[in-house]
Amino acid sequence: MKQVITMPKLSADMKKGVLAAWAKQKGDTVKKGDVLYEVEAAKVVSEVEATVDGVLTEVYFEEGDEVDVDTPVALICSEQ
Amino acid sequence: MIYIETGSTDPYFNFGLEYYLITEKMFDEPVFLFWQTAPTLMVGKFQNTLEEINVAYAKEHQIHLVRRMSGGGTIYTDMGGFQFTFIIPGKTEEISFSEYIRPVIQALHDMGIAGAGFNGRNDLVIDGKKFSGNAQYLYNGFTLHHGSLLFDTNIEQMVKSTTVDPYKIISKGIKSVRERVTNISEHLKAPMDSQEFKMRMVTSIMGGSGYKTYELTETDRKRISELGDLKFNNWDCIYGRNPKCNLTKTGRFTGGKMEVSLEVSHGTIRDCTIYGDFFGSLDMDALCQALIGVKYEESAIASAIAPFDIEHGLYQITRSELLSCIAP
Repeated sequence: MKQVITMPKLSADMKKGVLAAWAKQKGDTVKKGDVLYEVEAAKVVSEVEATVDGVLTEVYFEEGDEVDVDTPVALICSEQ
Repeated sequence: MIYIETGSTDPYFNFGLEYYLITEKMFDEPVFLFWQTAPTLMVGKFQNTLEEINVAYAKEHQIHLVRRMSGGGTIYTDMGGFQFTFIIPGKTEEISFSEYIRPVIQALHDMGIAGAGFNGRNDLVIDGKKFSGNAQYLYNGFTLHHGSLLFDTNIEQMVKSTTVDPYKIISKGIKSVRERVTNISEHLKAPMDSQEFKMRMVTSIMGGSGYKTYELTETDRKRISELGDLKFNNWDCIYGRNPKCNLTKTGRFTGGKMEVSLEVSHGTIRDCTIYGDFFGSLDMDALCQALIGVKYEESAIASAIAPFDIEHGLYQITRSELLSCIAP
């Protein structure tokens, strides 16, 4: 099963967020609840966690990239 | 809500306290702090200190450097200003600044500063001039909101310590936004000392006198100091977490012009090239190679170039001139 990880909408008026730091790299095994990346938007820093167990097979952005809300930023493939 | 007196003006201790409260002490009701620091530059979590801070000025004036865990830009704080922190258990689904900012504005209105309000960047302003920056982070199931208040801060030192000039940097990090600033004390109808201002702010925000407090124990303080050193007061936190950047420094010496281009990632030199119209027999490629993998700080660079015979290898460019052209 493939799980698409997107840029979250943290506040009502948030349009974009900066993908500030990856906590996992492409190819890493991840568990549900692991921090995948940190996002900064409007002076707020928040963590985005994996929602399933699996392998982080794709990352679409580099640290420091500004990404629109709901845009896919990574892909987790799981055996479930 | 519980009020905690930090009892310290050490920025590392006070940030360590915030971290302690959300990772170890974890009160199940909101906590409020109102604190001060010795002169300090606080960069946002994903900012590049090289880009934001005049490191030489900060060193000369013994200004502390610290990386916050919250977002946003760089601020300067000193004993003429205050910081406030709200720590709320439970990660809110939707982020809001107004619930934390409103009580601060109300307290200022009660002191007769009718012009205090907030702008679109969640900064607090009086007549369009900023006197408070605010930022948040969500961690370990807590929302932490903190902000600064300029009461009688040394604005000249603020401007000089955040004016970075000698090199050109290209990076993707979060940039600070320059705004006109003002001190609250200039807007008070009658003079007020900073301790009275603090007392009135805390009483107002805590909803009147007789509020609940918690006194830090010696055990708390010992652990907070440890966390302050571990999480905030070290090279790795302040420089090692800088986003990757490319920077160019130019030096003009008796012996000619020298341009140094560096790629710095996580505080370490990853690539180096040196150009110029200077003369000498020094093997510049070998010198550049020797800098790769070296921490981007003066003492580490000085050690890396120590084996090179710069005195005889470069015409009218001294070792200290070369060092100044490479180091931050």
